[in-house]
Amino acid sequence: MASRVKFENSCEVGVFARLTNAYCLVPAGASEGFYRCGVLEGELAGAVPVVRTSVAGTRIVGRLCVGNKRGLLLPHTATDQEIQHLRNRLPDEVVVKCVDERLSALENCIACNDHVALTHPDLDKETEEVISDVLGVEVFRQTIAGNILVGSYCTFTNKGGLVHPQTSVEDLDELSTLLQVPMVAGTVNRGNEVVSTDMAINGPVRFAKKS
Amino acid sequence: MRLENCWFCSSTIYPGHGIQFVRNDAKIFRFCRSKCHKNFKMKRNPRKVKWTKAYRQLHGKDMTQDATFEFERKRNRPERYDRNLTEQTLKAIPLIIKIRHDGLEKHISNRHKPGKRKEIQKDSKEVAQDIGMLPKKLISNELANPEKTKIKVKVVQQQTEDYAMEE
Repeated sequence: MASRVKFENSCEVGVFARLTNAYCLVPAGASEGFYRCGVLEGELAGAVPVVRTSVAGTRIVGRLCVGNKRGLLLPHTATDQEIQHLRNRLPDEVVVKCVDERLSALENCIACNDHVALTHPDLDKETEEVISDVLGVEVFRQTIAGNILVGSYCTFTNKGGLVHPQTSVEDLDELSTLLQVPMVAGTVNRGNEVVSTDMAINGPVRFAKKS
Repeated sequence: MRLENCWFCSSTIYPGHGIQFVRNDAKIFRFCRSKCHKNFKMKRNPRKVKWTKAYRQLHGKDMTQDATFEFERKRNRPERYDRNLTEQTLKAIPLIIKIRHDGLEKHISNRHKPGKRKEIQKDSKEVAQDIGMLPKKLISNELANPEKTKIKVKVVQQQTEDYAMEE
């Protein structure tokens, strides 16, 4: 089920929304059409709690925090009030944790689903441990088509994933075996190679840009 | 809003005060006032600068290990909001601060005690040995009028009454 959507006239949905099987984080301030009229809450149909929040005072929640159904990782720049708000709103099974990491745009550095995570090769050892502990995933340090920002250039769920169009076939196969899901190379948003910024996905639902 | 600690002197930085410096490796240095900021720019090590908390704790001048410090640790996992818990925490904070201050004062006075004892000993030794150094005028006074020791006498009411009767 894929839906085409725009956030405040921007096609980069993945920057603003963070969607997993257990929760959905969106920033405040977009038109109600984004939230209500058949888009977010319509598609998710109450199966997933939609939480309006900011992270570190910004609206780019999709890029700053990363998570799966077991947990949510926030950058150290997130304020105490935001962390408390998220902790109150998210279901108890989801562990909310702050990560002290130099690379604070976590979603650009970490791509994960419920079983496996790919991370930026320069990520701290400590952060890697936190990821495997909080999200309950196996962590692999990888590059995608020579790019270190794995979270930006590749996005995947439990069912499948999309990577940067210039990933070689061997790399694709390697990734597929590593992640145990079928991977496809492609572009989003009429030729945008940064696939992760333009889509917000979890298992059953996918939100992509309008074009 | 969050009350941070100054990187240099470890005092609290209240809103509207100080400067934050972000280094290229994304480490944030917060300073409470320009004094700390300027010292940092001079590349001074706070552990060697006498008036900072870092120096005082390193050299044992201030209390380092205490149960009250455990309350202020940064915890990365938040708790779900519970009104009772928040209320109790807010009530407990001033008490904890008071306990910590009392402990700190005690630590400092304990630190001073052996020194004070030594000083008194030294002084009494000096009086004993070197009293001859003082001019004769002063000493003769001392020798002529030795300190009158106070003797406590219990006044019993009955005795005085007897006296009166006898007279």
